[in-house]
Amino acid sequence: MSVIKEFTKGIVKENPVFVMALGLCPVLAVSSSVENAIGMGAAATFVLVFSNIFISLIKGFIPRKIRIPSYIVVIASFVTIVDMVMEAYVPALHKNLGLFIPLIVVNCIILGRAEAFAGKNNLIRSIFDGFGMGLGFTLALIVIASIREILGAGQFLGYNVLPATFKPMLVAILAPGAFLVMGLLMGLMNLKKK
Amino acid sequence: MKYYLRLGFVLLVITVVASGILAYINSLTEPIIKENQRKAKEEARMEVLPEAVSFDSISYLNEEVIYAGKNNEGKLAGYTFVASLYGYSSDVKTMVGVTPDFKVNKIKIIEQTETPGLGANCTKPEFQSLFEGRNETVMLVDKDGGEIVSITGATITTRTIANSIRTGLKFLKEIEVQSEPEEIHREEVTE
Repeated sequence: MSVIKEFTKGIVKENPVFVMALGLCPVLAVSSSVENAIGMGAAATFVLVFSNIFISLIKGFIPRKIRIPSYIVVIASFVTIVDMVMEAYVPALHKNLGLFIPLIVVNCIILGRAEAFAGKNNLIRSIFDGFGMGLGFTLALIVIASIREILGAGQFLGYNVLPATFKPMLVAILAPGAFLVMGLLMGLMNLKKK
Repeated sequence: MKYYLRLGFVLLVITVVASGILAYINSLTEPIIKENQRKAKEEARMEVLPEAVSFDSISYLNEEVIYAGKNNEGKLAGYTFVASLYGYSSDVKTMVGVTPDFKVNKIKIIEQTETPGLGANCTKPEFQSLFEGRNETVMLVDKDGGEIVSITGATITTRTIANSIRTGLKFLKEIEVQSEPEEIHREEVTE
C-alpha cells in the first residue's frame, strides 16, 4: 500500500467515526456546533500525528507485553505537554482549544492508531496515517455538527442560515440529537457500501 | 520470573522518564501561565468596570481580592469580585463588576471547562449581558422563579453562575454596609 493510500483510507474507507466507531465520546460531546467541531478536529489531528510519530519511533524499545500501558503513558504525557506549552506561549489559542484537550486524552482513536498502526509501521507511513485519520475524524465531526447546528439552532458557524420562521428542533443540539444524527449517517454509509 | 521483573523495570523506566519530562516542562511553563492568568484577570477587571481608573483591595472572596474601583475624580465607581462555584463539570469563575448601589454592571466568565456546545456557551456575550443591571433579589434563573433565561441544556451551569454572583453580591453588601475594617473571610457557600 502506498503512503497516499495510508492517508486517504482514513477519510472514507476506514473513517474512524462512521466505520470504526472509535472516539464517539468527544464526537457526541462537541458536535453541537461547527465551530467546536473544527476546534476538536484540529486538536485531535495534531495530537494524533505526533503520538503516531512518537510511538513509531520508540516501538522497538517496548516489549510487546507491556505496549498498551506504555502507549497510554506516552500519549497522556504528550497531551499534557501540549496543554501546558500551549497555555504558556499561545494563551489565545489555548482559550479556544484548551477545552478539548482533556477530551483528547480519553479519545480512543489515538490509542487505537498507536496499537493498530504506528506500533507496526515505519515513521513516514505513521505520519500519513495520523493525518488521514485526523482529517477523517474532523470531517465526520463537521458533517454531524453541520446537521445538528442547522436543525437545532438554524445557524451555521454561528450565522443564521434559515429564515426566522423556522422553529429550531431543540433535540438536535441536545445529546439525543447526536445519537440520532450519527446513527442515521452510519446507516446511510452502510447502505451505500452494499 | 526474571522476564516479568524486566517488564516491570521497563515500565518503571518509561514512567520515570515521562514524569521527569512533565515535571521539567511544568517548572518552565507554570510561572508563565500564572503571569498570563494574572494579566487576564486584570484585563477582565477593567472590562467589567470600565469607569474605574484605580483599584483598592478591600476584602477577599473565593481566595480572590475584592476591589473597590475609583473613577478619575476619585469617587467610588463600583466594585469587582470573582464569583466561583462548581457547575456541571468544573469550577465556573466569573469576574463581576458591581455599581456603587450593588447592581451588576457587567460580568465576564474567566474560567470554566463546562461541556462544549452546552454549558460552555456561558462565555457568549449575549448570555453574559443577561446579568447586567440585576441586584441580588433578581439574580435567579427561570427554573427557580427568576428572569434569567437558562442556556438550552445547561440549566446547571446557568444556575451556578447566578447563585455564585448572588452570594458574592450579598457578601459585598454586608461588608460594605457595615464597613468593618478587618478582613472578613468567606463562609462556605450553601445552596
